[in-house]
Amino acid sequence: MSDVVVIGAAPDELVAARLLQQAGHRVTVLQEHAVPDRLEGWAPAQIGRLPSKRPDPWLRTPDGLELFADVKRSAQSLRRLSGHDADRWPQFCERMARLASLLEEVYLQAPPRLIDLRFALRVRRLGRSGMEDLMRVLPMPAAELLGEWFESDILKGALGAFAVRDLQQGPRSAGTAFRLLHAHVGSPRGIFRPGTVDVTPLRAGLTIREAQVARIDVRGGAATGVTLTNGEMLPAALIVAGAHPARVLGQLVEPGWIDPDLLRAARHIRSRGVAARARLELERTPEWPALTLAGTADDVERAYDAVKYGRISERPVIDAVADGAAVDVQLQFVPHTAADTADIQARLVKVLQPHLPPIRSVSVRTPVDLERSYGWPQGQPHHAELSLDQALWMRPLPELSGYRTPVNGLWLCGPAMHPGAGVIGAAGHNCVRAMPRS
Amino acid sequence: MKHDVIIVGGGHNGLACAAYLARAGKKVLVLERRDRIGGAAFSDEVFPGFRFSVFSYVVSLLRPEIIRELELPRHGLQILPLESTLTPLPNGDRLVQWSDHDQNRAELARHSPRDAEAYDDFGLLLHRMARAVKPLLHTAAPDPASLHPGELVDLLRLGRYFRGLPEKDLHALWKLLTMSAADYLDEWFEGEALKGTKSASGIIGTLLGPRSPGTAYVLLHHYMGELDGVFRAWGFAKGGNGSVSAAIAAAAQAHGAEIRTGAPVSRIVVKGGRATSVILENGDELAASTIVSGADPRRTFLGLVREENLPDEFVAAIKRYKFRGSSAKVNLALGELPRFTCMPERGPHMRGAISISPSVDYLERAYDEAKYGEFSRRPYMDIVMPSMLDPSMAPPGKHVMSIFVQYAPYHLNGGWTDARREEFGDTVVNTLAEYAPNLKGAILHRQVVTPADIERVVGLSEGNIFQGELSLQQMFFLRPAPAWARYRTPIHGLFQCGSGTHPGGGVMGASGRNAAREILG
Repeated sequence: MSDVVVIGAAPDELVAARLLQQAGHRVTVLQEHAVPDRLEGWAPAQIGRLPSKRPDPWLRTPDGLELFADVKRSAQSLRRLSGHDADRWPQFCERMARLASLLEEVYLQAPPRLIDLRFALRVRRLGRSGMEDLMRVLPMPAAELLGEWFESDILKGALGAFAVRDLQQGPRSAGTAFRLLHAHVGSPRGIFRPGTVDVTPLRAGLTIREAQVARIDVRGGAATGVTLTNGEMLPAALIVAGAHPARVLGQLVEPGWIDPDLLRAARHIRSRGVAARARLELERTPEWPALTLAGTADDVERAYDAVKYGRISERPVIDAVADGAAVDVQLQFVPHTAADTADIQARLVKVLQPHLPPIRSVSVRTPVDLERSYGWPQGQPHHAELSLDQALWMRPLPELSGYRTPVNGLWLCGPAMHPGAGVIGAAGHNCVRAMPRS
Repeated sequence: MKHDVIIVGGGHNGLACAAYLARAGKKVLVLERRDRIGGAAFSDEVFPGFRFSVFSYVVSLLRPEIIRELELPRHGLQILPLESTLTPLPNGDRLVQWSDHDQNRAELARHSPRDAEAYDDFGLLLHRMARAVKPLLHTAAPDPASLHPGELVDLLRLGRYFRGLPEKDLHALWKLLTMSAADYLDEWFEGEALKGTKSASGIIGTLLGPRSPGTAYVLLHHYMGELDGVFRAWGFAKGGNGSVSAAIAAAAQAHGAEIRTGAPVSRIVVKGGRATSVILENGDELAASTIVSGADPRRTFLGLVREENLPDEFVAAIKRYKFRGSSAKVNLALGELPRFTCMPERGPHMRGAISISPSVDYLERAYDEAKYGEFSRRPYMDIVMPSMLDPSMAPPGKHVMSIFVQYAPYHLNGGWTDARREEFGDTVVNTLAEYAPNLKGAILHRQVVTPADIERVVGLSEGNIFQGELSLQQMFFLRPAPAWARYRTPIHGLFQCGSGTHPGGGVMGASGRNAAREILG
């Protein structure tokens, strides 16, 4: 069997590499960037047994809101804030779970086409209320969806924060209801926080080399191999790349092979990172497994307003998950150009300190740092922002949504592809499934 | 029964519906609450000698087939094209978009040669998209969940239509539906003034900013205007927008429809699930086998009809239907023409539109304030001076200026009061005076119309000029409620024909025309 080169060593690339290796190819994985040991999301059964860790209560705010894996227990806890919301919570969870199950199905295959009779019939099987939910809810602003169901500003704010995670939008923006659902897919009913998955087992049994790719060599419209920055050439008839399509097609493929219109479109894929991440080492374990400081939906919206004009939010949304005597923190919104970690750290400590045991050390990574270490373009973990115009049949571009590129033998499999980051390895899985048998 | 059909509301859609029904031989009665027809498409001599289109202000979306089929020119409609859009800039420069291609290109190139290059391709694409969407405007939107054989046929027809479009166009359409105007324009242009002015057409009538997803589609909605077959051409009706209503009314009357003004309807009577008559505020009861409401969904179903006559989920859908009016009108009577610093001469640009939209950020900041319940301190404005095109609008040598302003949220913190209205009027005049310093001295009279005023006078809920936001979850088969987007209602014999139904929005008339076709079956 011929040689295969996989560019990148994140879960999508590793899954693609393993599937190709299982099909009898000799696969070399080229690791260009570090990959976090644990990633946010869930791993579908098709990828392997990679359990998601979720804090329970999965949501806790300083105002006394606590939501648990157990829907009934959440409702009880909600009753302290609002009897109305407590009554509606189980029904909300059920309706969202039904929509999530459809998305889950769609996520594990190449995206449907926009006008696809089979997909249309599948959607019709949801029944009237399911269909209406789907078509009404997906394009809605999360704030509006939550406003229809609930009255507690605290609840709407916290869920609104999950609906805009890693997205340059506020909860009032259309399409953020889709993101709330995306955060829910793969989780048990009633949980709207993605879990954390230890992805290190995906490396097992693969040949992984640290290397920097300089060029993808093309002859006669077909990929022939990869040239590394040290000049070494690796011949391969099949190349699977996890990097951003603009980099793969615009920088790695030898010039001249890609249609300028496609290149232009690839460069217009929006990839703005909006969050900084931090790890805080503490004197001892905090009392809570997770803490979300979001305020109301308007507070989240105001936090977003700042980033539109290139500023860090005055009151950023902070989401902390405990990991023993340490916490991992996501801080949003931070413009993708921000490089000043001191400023972010000061804001973070000021807000979090009252809720934490004494802090030993803090390490902050801005979107710029995240790009440097993990290769996330502009610090965006999804590579291509996961918004409705860059989702499903549009991901990352309609022309590339089938994982195939105009260069024969060159395929795309990274988070920029359907279904995006968070569904661990799914893009790699779908990519290999999309390849012809030979 | 004296009448076959009673239409509640004499706005342009109610009148268009009446005209089509009367033309088909129905005995039609239109009942208008006010003593004047036209609803929001209405002209008035607000100050002695000065006439204004008080609420709406331009004609672009009025469907050409309506003009043709109802022979509106014969009934007095005359449309004068607006030839340019001037965007004055804070630095004293300007951007003018001309309808003349070469002149336009030269001006664009002065700001950015790249934009001048891209402009034609952009226009062609939107032109193609507007064409692709056009058949949707002519027909009722089929319900994708329906099991009704008739609707299934319509669904399949629609499916086949879309399958027949190149996939590339479908994707371009999807982008327009889901992107923000700002992101969409960023893919094409670099000039701030051009992007600002273009994105402005995406926010008109909504409580959304140019960076809000979904606004790119409204951009297309405003590209759909076609006058005399010319896409993008906006026009002004001679005599103001009231002339549009007057011409449609004249056509309806010529076909035998009766129009009664000063006849407010207090209730639509429902017996055994069927609409049977209407009761006027003076107690008169008028019966007809078909009742059509031109009022918006909230007024129709939560006002004219009693809730208990409707299914619970329908009532819930109408209650969550969003209005959120965001636009205001300032009408000025001027003793002399304003002199814009960037173009002080009395040139052809004064006969076009003037847009205060120097950048996307400018508009977005205006939206930021409205989002949290304040009116914009530096608002977006779309200005026309009708007296430049139609001298009969003002006394000789004097002028009228119509300023469409955003954002003025209906839900203003503390509510709209006379004092807040004047404060808002001052904000508008002060902002505009920065670009035309002689403006303040030229003002003879000023009328400020807030969303609260629009609601009070015309009856549009929350002052929304489209009878409900044109957002994705309120469009097509979801407008105004799922399963009831085909002008029918859960009550037999009761139909809707206002902008709150598909396709909705603007002085377009498509809702009235489609409703008439649905009623005629």
